Amino acid sequence: MLPLARNASRRSVLACASRLHSTVAHAAPSVAYTDPARSQDPSVLTTPRDIPPALREELESALRVDQAGELAANWIYKGQHDVLGRDPATGPLIQASTALPSPTSIFDRNGQDMWDQEKKHLAVMNKLQIQHRIRPTLLWEFARLGGYGLGAVTALMGKEAAMACTEAVETVIGEHYDDQLKAFEQLPADHPSVPLLKGVIREFRDDELEHLDIAVENDSQKAPAHALLSTVVGAGCKVAIELCKRF
Amino acid sequence: MAAISLRTELLRLAVPLVKTHGFTREALAQSALRLPEPHKEPLSEAAVTSIFGSGDDARRTLIQAWMEAAVLNMKSKSTPPSLLELLESRLKWNEPVLGHLPEAFALLATPKFSSLLPLDPSVAVRHNIHIANEACNLVGSHDIGVRRHLPLESRADVSCITGQLAWHRKRAAAAIAYAAAELVQLAQPESPDVPYKVLKQQLDRSQKALQSVEEVGLFGQYVARSWAGIGKSMGL
Repeated sequence: MLPLARNASRRSVLACASRLHSTVAHAAPSVAYTDPARSQDPSVLTTPRDIPPALREELESALRVDQAGELAANWIYKGQHDVLGRDPATGPLIQASTALPSPTSIFDRNGQDMWDQEKKHLAVMNKLQIQHRIRPTLLWEFARLGGYGLGAVTALMGKEAAMACTEAVETVIGEHYDDQLKAFEQLPADHPSVPLLKGVIREFRDDELEHLDIAVENDSQKAPAHALLSTVVGAGCKVAIELCKRF
Repeated sequence: MAAISLRTELLRLAVPLVKTHGFTREALAQSALRLPEPHKEPLSEAAVTSIFGSGDDARRTLIQAWMEAAVLNMKSKSTPPSLLELLESRLKWNEPVLGHLPEAFALLATPKFSSLLPLDPSVAVRHNIHIANEACNLVGSHDIGVRRHLPLESRADVSCITGQLAWHRKRAAAAIAYAAAELVQLAQPESPDVPYKVLKQQLDRSQKALQSVEEVGLFGQYVARSWAGIGKSMGL
């Protein structure tokens, strides 16, 4: 199976899973971290302590990678916005300006643009890092600068290349969150923080897949050398994930 | 599950015995006499081996349990807790067993299996970082990469997503200060006040150094922004 076809098939499976989940209306799990009324809830304050060291290490590396990934995603969008922000078609996709409403902009199910969602993701990941006492990555600055550079460079290549970058990154991140959900099955379900953590990861996975869909709908696959660009960006993301797990 | 609970309970009861018995298999054996339904006699060597491991493995287990208890018992009288008081309370925990500690650290640093190096230096580093990390968590030093949370309701200026390594810097500073103080405590057991003075001095110095680093960073940002402004006005 060609890499493109394999990716498309895996994406469609993940997208089906996310749509099935989202047909039931309920408050997003991440609200627990953004709602001040829930700031004293044990589910957002405590971390499971009596778990085997190997599982603890897995939890730490997973959340460290997630935080670094959301940081990089924010800076990718900043880089893209700095270059393409004034483009009437692409600018509002990345971040809509309240001063320049665009009738052609496409919003996700919550009516937020992609960058706003990533900001929310990062804010929640930062709270998860504190809650679970995770060491943040030593590669923080590399994630920040690398994300900005990737976003700016692909945006300079054109709108389609910027969307292709988003498509490649969101594919890797969506798969990564999906793998984490499977790994988190081993966490003790009776601890108050665990169901919330799984819910947040599931929600973020669905958000990333929605960004992927938006990128594809906006001509990501018409980008010059799309297959090469996707492969390079995807491989770079996977290397970054492995590095952040360790450092 | 019951076996794990018994092991944990025996370790918890053995920790206060370190003062009189040292980090020895004897302390582990005697812990059985302190159970809620106490044994008539201490655990046999075979029982200690089966529960805690053979030879020095059992002693290493006891040392780790004692260190965990030390971290859990770090206390500060002030509200909010003070880093200095937390680290001082950790130093105080060492005092009753000061004579046994050098051997305990040496045992932990000795590799279990044959190795090129006679000692494992990472043990000391991990020990100090663990204490510093727990103390910083208790103080509420919740440093993360961003200086402040993004306001979700507004299109926040992303320049506030500024990466910084404050989390690592603070813990490194606390670990170095604690390591220096503990070294003095082990080297000069006859001077009980000196380690606390060393700890305070080191923390003060590292705080000033951190402040200087932040001020230099802030100045650098102002200079960079000025150049960016000049560049924009020149049409670059």
